[in-house]
Amino acid sequence: MRIGSRELKLERRESLSGWQATGISILAILVALAIFSIIFILAGINPLTAYAEIFSYAFANPFVLPLTMNRFIFILLCTYAFIIPFAAGLWNIGMAGQLYAGSLTVYAVLLALGVKEFQSTQLPTTLVILMMLIAAMLGGAFIGGIAGFLKGKYNVNEIVVTMMLNFMTFWVVSDFIKEGGIFMNPGGRGESFELPPSLQPPLIMGVPFTIFIAIGVALLLYFVLRRTKIGYEIRAYGENPTAAAYAGISNFSIPLLVFIMGGALAGLAGYHYFAAVPGVYKIARTYGYFGDLAFYGIICGLISRGNPLAAIPVAFLFGGLSIGGRLVQGKLGMSFGVDYALLGVLMITLVAFQFFYRYKFIWENSQGEP
Amino acid sequence: MWEFFIRSLDASTIFTIAALGELIGQRSGILNVGIEGVMLFGATLGFITAKTTGSYLLGFLVGIAVGGLIGLLHGFFSITLGGDQVVSGMGIWILGFGLTTYIGSPYTGPLGMERIPTILGLSPFFFVAIALTIIIWFILSKTSLGLRIRSVGESPEVAEVSGISVAKTRYLCVVGGGMLMGFAGAIFSLDYNPVWSYNFLLGRGFIALALVFFSMWNPFILLGGSILFGTLWQLSLNPQFIPGLMSRYKWRTVPFAITLGALLLMSTKWFRTKWGAATPEALGQPYVKD
Repeated sequence: MRIGSRELKLERRESLSGWQATGISILAILVALAIFSIIFILAGINPLTAYAEIFSYAFANPFVLPLTMNRFIFILLCTYAFIIPFAAGLWNIGMAGQLYAGSLTVYAVLLALGVKEFQSTQLPTTLVILMMLIAAMLGGAFIGGIAGFLKGKYNVNEIVVTMMLNFMTFWVVSDFIKEGGIFMNPGGRGESFELPPSLQPPLIMGVPFTIFIAIGVALLLYFVLRRTKIGYEIRAYGENPTAAAYAGISNFSIPLLVFIMGGALAGLAGYHYFAAVPGVYKIARTYGYFGDLAFYGIICGLISRGNPLAAIPVAFLFGGLSIGGRLVQGKLGMSFGVDYALLGVLMITLVAFQFFYRYKFIWENSQGEP
Repeated sequence: MWEFFIRSLDASTIFTIAALGELIGQRSGILNVGIEGVMLFGATLGFITAKTTGSYLLGFLVGIAVGGLIGLLHGFFSITLGGDQVVSGMGIWILGFGLTTYIGSPYTGPLGMERIPTILGLSPFFFVAIALTIIIWFILSKTSLGLRIRSVGESPEVAEVSGISVAKTRYLCVVGGGMLMGFAGAIFSLDYNPVWSYNFLLGRGFIALALVFFSMWNPFILLGGSILFGTLWQLSLNPQFIPGLMSRYKWRTVPFAITLGALLLMSTKWFRTKWGAATPEALGQPYVKD
């Protein structure tokens, strides 16, 4: 494109600094929100009003902020579940299944301790919570591990496998909590038995301790992926599995490992929402919604370009947007699924912006050239 | 028994047509992992069109057109922008999943139109699927267009030198492939299961993707695989075959478990050496003209 004596040209980037990447990512989010205005306009709503509602509700309302924080923790854990396999060039779209499995193992521990029957347990609370956390990680790691094993051993496409496992675990949860399933609430409302108050973790301003886990994992992952031998091996496998194999990096254990790690963190997200967040404390009837919400982890992981620290602000934003999306849906009389539509628009805009991570526009003075 | 067999063939129709769309694209070197998203668009917009206009024809046309448009979008990301094809495909899936949930939810429920007439009890689209399989096999292996498609999928550099436009050929394939995926989605929502609910394809698009991988890019193996999968799905949807064995929720997991089993089998060395593999060499790699 030529304007006067200057020409707008595309140039491949030699390198991309952290600040440039951040700038592009922020721009991508802004453009996505601008595109999403169309949805509001089509519904006959002024987009500025809608966004003002969403942001003031999600981030400035003291009663809602804890809800935003809890979603933030959930999305952040799901993001880790995505970015660890992604560092190895593998796609984990099975966070939903992994977090369902994690919540099942959490309630299995409670059932084994007789909590369903007696509404309490003899064991110290801290110990039981610790057991629940470990169970959540094992449950998620098991489901994730299946995908990693099949990828490593038989080279089965991990995208298809994790998707199939999502659907399978979804129905397994129903089997456990509905129609006479062993976790069924005695009240028979199609949800699991409740966590007794004695086992509900303490809250700091409406937010459970899982926030420390989520932030701590960010630091740990940042260190592991960048500074350790295993992090190097994961990245080397991600660059080129064949070359990595020549360098003695196992094409079996790396996929298995990254999916076990990712699955374990998704499992923690399951613990967080179904056993630590105030007001839930059971596997809710609407557990499928949280499985869908987990897909925000994919977008968050891509926008933060696999950087666990950069994922923190992005997950916070998305937590608020998904909460706020639900609000405007009811308040402004829009049809169901505003938060789903936002998920889709954010994702596709981000895909388009991948281009700008590789190319840049430059202005060139073309005068005097033939 | 006949009834069951017919339902299986109807189920396989959706897999076949969607997977044929993916096969064409992959033969030209473009991987689209977002079939599920394209199908959701075709299924939802086709459903809404048919429901509001009362015309099946318009419903199918919209489904096909939308599929073509989404294919074009995938082509733009992966051919013109030269981006990562898996990222783009995933984007299309999540876009389809998210946006159709919002767009379709006011139309949740049955279509409420007279069912499409059957031929010998079978959906007419089964015969369309067979015809498409043969046509696509013929085009790919017997015509100069097919040679062009295969050559840009095998080695785009050589194709470009011999005067074939890699970009044009690939665009043709992803748009045509997208139309087939949209068509498959519309068949699902207008004929096979005319009741809209969100995310109602239940991973059929992902299964179609898997089918292409183990069809070894041969339309006839793909058809055979689709019929096998259609039968397995139908079997798993009919718990009355073995009454009292499992709860209905456990039965619901069976189609996915069977898919995993079949995927595993077809990924083993034994299966792949027995049937031979011919991967399009340039599959998934962006081609940048120097």
